[in-house]
Amino acid sequence: MLSKLKMILQKADADYADIRYEIKKETFITLDGKELSNIGSTSTDGYVVRVLKNGGFTSVSFTKEDDAEKALKTAQENAVLLGNNIDKPITLAKVPIIKDTFIPTLKEDPRGISIEEKLQLLRHYNDIPLAHDKIAITNMRYFEVTREKYFTSSEGAEIHENLITTGIGGGITSKEGNLVQNVRIGAGGSDGFYTLRDLDDIFEKRTKIVIDLLNAEPLKAGAYDCILNQGLAGVFAHEAFGHFSEADIVESLPAMRKKMQIGDKLGSDVLSIIDNATMSNQLGFYKYDDEGVAVREVKLLTNGVLTGRLHSRRTAQEFGEPISGHCVAEDYRYAPIIRMGTIYIEPREKTLEQLMAELGDGLYIVDPKGGQTSGENFTFGAQYGYIVKNGKKERMIRDINMSGNLYQTLQDITAVGNDLKLSKTGGCGKGQTNIRSCHGAPHILVKNVVLGGI
Amino acid sequence: MEKLLEMAGKVCDQAEIYFCDPTASEVMFQKGELHDIESQFQSGIALRIIKDGKLGFSYTKNLINREEFLQNALNSLTGGVQALYDFPHTSSLPSLKTYNEHLGKVTSSSMVENCQRIADVFRKNTDAEIEVVAYKEIQNVRITNTRGTDVQSKIGSNGYWFSLVYPGGGAGISRVYEEKIPFSVSHNILDNLVKMYNASSKVCAISGGKMKVLFMPGSMYTLLWRLHSGASAKSVYEDISPIKNDIGKQIVSENITFYDAPLNDEVPGARSFDDEGVPTKKMNIIEKGILKNFFYDLNYAQKLGVKSTGHGYRSSMWGGDSITIKPSPDLGHPRIEPGEKSFEELVAMMDKGIILDGVMGAHSGNIPNGDYSVGVSPGLYVEKGEIVGRVKDVMVAGNVYDTLKKVIAVENKLHTCWGGKMPAILCDGISVSSK
Repeated sequence: MLSKLKMILQKADADYADIRYEIKKETFITLDGKELSNIGSTSTDGYVVRVLKNGGFTSVSFTKEDDAEKALKTAQENAVLLGNNIDKPITLAKVPIIKDTFIPTLKEDPRGISIEEKLQLLRHYNDIPLAHDKIAITNMRYFEVTREKYFTSSEGAEIHENLITTGIGGGITSKEGNLVQNVRIGAGGSDGFYTLRDLDDIFEKRTKIVIDLLNAEPLKAGAYDCILNQGLAGVFAHEAFGHFSEADIVESLPAMRKKMQIGDKLGSDVLSIIDNATMSNQLGFYKYDDEGVAVREVKLLTNGVLTGRLHSRRTAQEFGEPISGHCVAEDYRYAPIIRMGTIYIEPREKTLEQLMAELGDGLYIVDPKGGQTSGENFTFGAQYGYIVKNGKKERMIRDINMSGNLYQTLQDITAVGNDLKLSKTGGCGKGQTNIRSCHGAPHILVKNVVLGGI
Repeated sequence: MEKLLEMAGKVCDQAEIYFCDPTASEVMFQKGELHDIESQFQSGIALRIIKDGKLGFSYTKNLINREEFLQNALNSLTGGVQALYDFPHTSSLPSLKTYNEHLGKVTSSSMVENCQRIADVFRKNTDAEIEVVAYKEIQNVRITNTRGTDVQSKIGSNGYWFSLVYPGGGAGISRVYEEKIPFSVSHNILDNLVKMYNASSKVCAISGGKMKVLFMPGSMYTLLWRLHSGASAKSVYEDISPIKNDIGKQIVSENITFYDAPLNDEVPGARSFDDEGVPTKKMNIIEKGILKNFFYDLNYAQKLGVKSTGHGYRSSMWGGDSITIKPSPDLGHPRIEPGEKSFEELVAMMDKGIILDGVMGAHSGNIPNGDYSVGVSPGLYVEKGEIVGRVKDVMVAGNVYDTLKKVIAVENKLHTCWGGKMPAILCDGISVSSK
């Protein structure tokens, strides 16, 4: 395949060009309640070419091999047009030229397990909530996505890497009278089918929570001191801070870029945030990004001081900062953009009990339910929570959505726990979906959080 | 495709092929300057087969080997996904003008020029961080099945999206305009946006409470997703729709008529058939506050013992690649009927309140129940009928069925927005929280 791609690239009339070909294989099973609504395996493929010419850098995606020449020509024309309309020609950071094949080691390769066994396992977990009267519906899915990637560039890079992601996830919905409540559930990872074994306990616990939510108190809107559990604190690291570590986002917002210079003190002393997609056995793991750069650990925030940023070759050059290997595409339909790999808040010394004592009165809020950022402002939902009085968990609460300002919240994180946990399923939607987006944190204490209630 | 259908017809009870080939190009301006140009040439085929009441499914980008492609679909029959419906026999359809040859005149260069003009107006008149995007999309959609249906449509559109971002904040006032033919955004539109931006530059501190909220088209998907969930045949079938038993009942204010308008070909994207080849029609979901209809695809219509309303689309909440997604109930062309007040009159009706121009977190919260709790992004603050600034760190929350009971006026105009064409809607007594 790589030699075929090199042939296509030979026809490029450009200062730099690369091409990525991908075969994407998916196996999917969906259960809506007891009903099987989708099952199958399928394969699609396509190409993305990128061209640097005349100081312009553009991309074209296509699916038919016969369109390769048209795609190259379009990319070249667009690059010239781009180059003619910008003041500063685009250049790319220099990177080591890599020739490598990387096939990850899996514990239980999902591709060797029959679809019948996968269905049986999904049904088994799905039956756990459905055994309860108050559960109205479940929407549960098994997914397995294999990306077979082939990348070559005019600089001589030749990389073949496979990424195999498996997961089980979905929602459980309870109902009493007209009141409907739901929780999410998810498991999986990047290193094999074993991550989907022995999940009964998790399904039992989620079921109890969604039934209890029917009797939980709706939260009164206002500002509260809160402890965020690991899942929710991880979403904070991703949504509120992480996206502004992505150079392409901060680049488009000049006022934010000014406020986010390397060396600036942005957060409290207890807060350190790292992106490390090189850790194997984690959802976010990969070796090379989609422009052929080896991913590396980046210390983004160290004791509250901004110390690093996530880059593509273009932004690394533009910012004059080190390359990081974070330019990743969803699949063959897209040119890569800057994505977090595995972002997490570094754990400190405090136990949850110590954090609860420090909180005194406030809220303990648990697990994410979607999040979004817009500039320095962010919002995200929590699946459930508890009122805390004198450091003790009391009544259960629901309808929890928090909103805040990045800079203020980085200061307001006053304590960090010792119990780091990383997420098992992803799904960041920055234009493209990144199913490997991994985030994590220990428990954290945040002062004065705005919560919307309903 | 004909050959594939013939082969499938021999080994299955019914077969259907869906084909589409989107080509698109996009020009992006950031900070008021040209930033990127991207193009795509995609195509794909999806096959659905029914045999002994079971559904098989496969899709591909390149139809190289018909036997293998059909075999993939046959293999998936063994899973046992129930399909007790028939693919439709659709013979005559109204002819819609969905593609205009003049769209060929839209090039990357012309889009760059038009974006530059918009960016220049904004740069001259505001201190905003300016984002402008131009796009052009053309695709053929064809659906053919073994019951004799063979329908197709060429669909084309071009549009401009732009945002005036408050420096440092990230939130901005955004608008989108879309047409079937080449066009440029009028000066009047740009000037009005400049005025709105400049009037809202000051950050105001407010205390929370119940107040008037003007839901702008750009934030309307917050409400639409929840209405969509409630009126979808899937939610009705799964018994999680809070309005399941409310057909014929008043569920929201009589100011609200919510309908689907697939046949209106004055705007881009009109469709005379859905993604299952079922003819579409104009249909009221809510008429003057009264719930009239749910919307159905073939599958859920059969399960609930009714006919498909022509709402089987290969779409999902987050977009996605249509050939890879199986049809499910969706509103392709939702609208809320315009009312009588101009935007200026609506603002004048606000003693104190927030213009919710955009939101964050519409996908969070309890969607089936209709609950929402969103961050303002941005929220313009109005006092005594005038925009006096904007608010930050503020959330607006409620339940869609309750919020839409509190509608006091609807704008007299529809705007293109994510999810359809919508007017601005003014509601009273909406919960607003802040620090």
